[in-house]
Amino acid sequence: MTEQMSSAAPNARIHAAGVSIKDLRKSYGSNEVLKGISLEVKPGEVVCLIGPSGSGKSTLLRCVNLLEQPNKGTIHVGGFEATDLDVDIDKMRRKVGMVFQQFNLFPHLDAKRNCTIAQTKVLKRSQEEADKVAQHNLDRVGLGHLSDRFPDQLSGGQQQRVAIARALSMDPELMLFDEPTSALDPETVGDVLSVMRNLAKEGMTMLVVTHEMGFAREVADRVVFMDGGVVVEEGVAEQVISAPTQARTKEFLRRVLDPTHIEIEE
Amino acid sequence: MAMTVRQRTRVSRSIQYGILIAAFLAFVLLADWSKISSAFLNVNAAVNQFPTIITVALKNTVIYTALSFVVGVSGGLLLALMKLSPVGPYRWLATIYIEFFRGVPALLVFIAFGYGIPTAFGIRFDIYVTVMLALGMVAAAYIAETLRAGLQAVPKGQLEAARSLGMPQWRAMVSIVIPQAFKIVLPPLTNEIILLTKDSSLVYVLGMAVSQYELTKLGRDGITQPGAGLTPLVVAGACYLIITIPLGILARRFESRTAKSNR
Repeated sequence: MTEQMSSAAPNARIHAAGVSIKDLRKSYGSNEVLKGISLEVKPGEVVCLIGPSGSGKSTLLRCVNLLEQPNKGTIHVGGFEATDLDVDIDKMRRKVGMVFQQFNLFPHLDAKRNCTIAQTKVLKRSQEEADKVAQHNLDRVGLGHLSDRFPDQLSGGQQQRVAIARALSMDPELMLFDEPTSALDPETVGDVLSVMRNLAKEGMTMLVVTHEMGFAREVADRVVFMDGGVVVEEGVAEQVISAPTQARTKEFLRRVLDPTHIEIEE
Repeated sequence: MAMTVRQRTRVSRSIQYGILIAAFLAFVLLADWSKISSAFLNVNAAVNQFPTIITVALKNTVIYTALSFVVGVSGGLLLALMKLSPVGPYRWLATIYIEFFRGVPALLVFIAFGYGIPTAFGIRFDIYVTVMLALGMVAAAYIAETLRAGLQAVPKGQLEAARSLGMPQWRAMVSIVIPQAFKIVLPPLTNEIILLTKDSSLVYVLGMAVSQYELTKLGRDGITQPGAGLTPLVVAGACYLIITIPLGILARRFESRTAKSNR
């Protein structure tokens, strides 16, 4: 009893898991989207995946929790080998929180129920305990006072923060973010990013596909630039963004950071 | 001399109204009302239908409809899930079932259940069970297609989000996808109940006791009484409307509610 409570107790320390991807390949028909990707994310590390659209970064992210089935290569997440055909997918996914570009909140449930349904149905927590965890995580993303709102009564930024609270309510050891701010109104982007920043500070392992270079530079430990299904360049965030070595990275960053084509200051 | 668009519209509309009013007046003035009322609106014959038409016939119509709707929705849901299944044989079975029961007249299915199956297998169903199975199995074929469309209308991201939280496929369907699908299909599903209400009249092909009569059967029996004319059928028809019109209103209300919020 006490043990169960403590595992879900508010402010429980994050038990962070690492990710290890080796030579991952993924094709849709004859179109090879991932052409042998290798990537290490250490426990507690924040890694941002950047790159032009169609470069395969979202596919890579979705392979990590098996929303896409890779064709070749291995992925280790925490103690699980995701690419092992006998892996218990559902058990593995409990450890991996996922945040989508389109939020994907459950529209027929209010914010709190969005955060409790998987706790009660999957983790078999009591409703009372699940409510407590949900409320804690909604507070954590600054929306504790809106727990009885339905998704369509929330702004995009609020919905995305509820989606983060929903994922956190499962006590994940790794969080995946798939362009979490790309569908948001500009004025709500900041709230979502600050929630993510706090999460990074608390020591969560995070793998983030993003176009927010400011966030990547400030929060990420490392940045991985992908193009055409391969990793073109990776390294310390500040270095990759401010002083990229590869021509393709330079070209991409020039476009993203400065759409008006004025020289960026070094 | 040339009329403006607005004047022309007004003139043409007046002419249309004039024709409608003239046709109505001609009908009222020229029709033989005594004959019409003795054929359709015989007060005595109408009164004679009561209270049986309510206590037995209306009640049985509702029971037959409700029973077959329960079978129709559960069977339809199963078929819809089979049709969306990645397992080939499930899809084929569901397709064959749907094509068959959607394609043959419900009347034939009634006859098969009422006479064919007892002869072939030596099983004799109670009349309520017969209607429940015969009408329910036909309804399942239609409802399956409605539900399949509803399930497919739930965005794929919903299933992905549920699975990402560690829910197994069945749990994600039960807790996340199916509740949303039902909200989408409520209006067409109400339509299905209205169709079922009327199709329950097909039970007349089976022999049944008076206590099992539903509206149409009772009405048909009523018109054999001398002097009743078709009045008993008119009363039976009115009773169908008592069931179907509120259902229609309910459906519209669901529709406007789901239109307002997509909850």
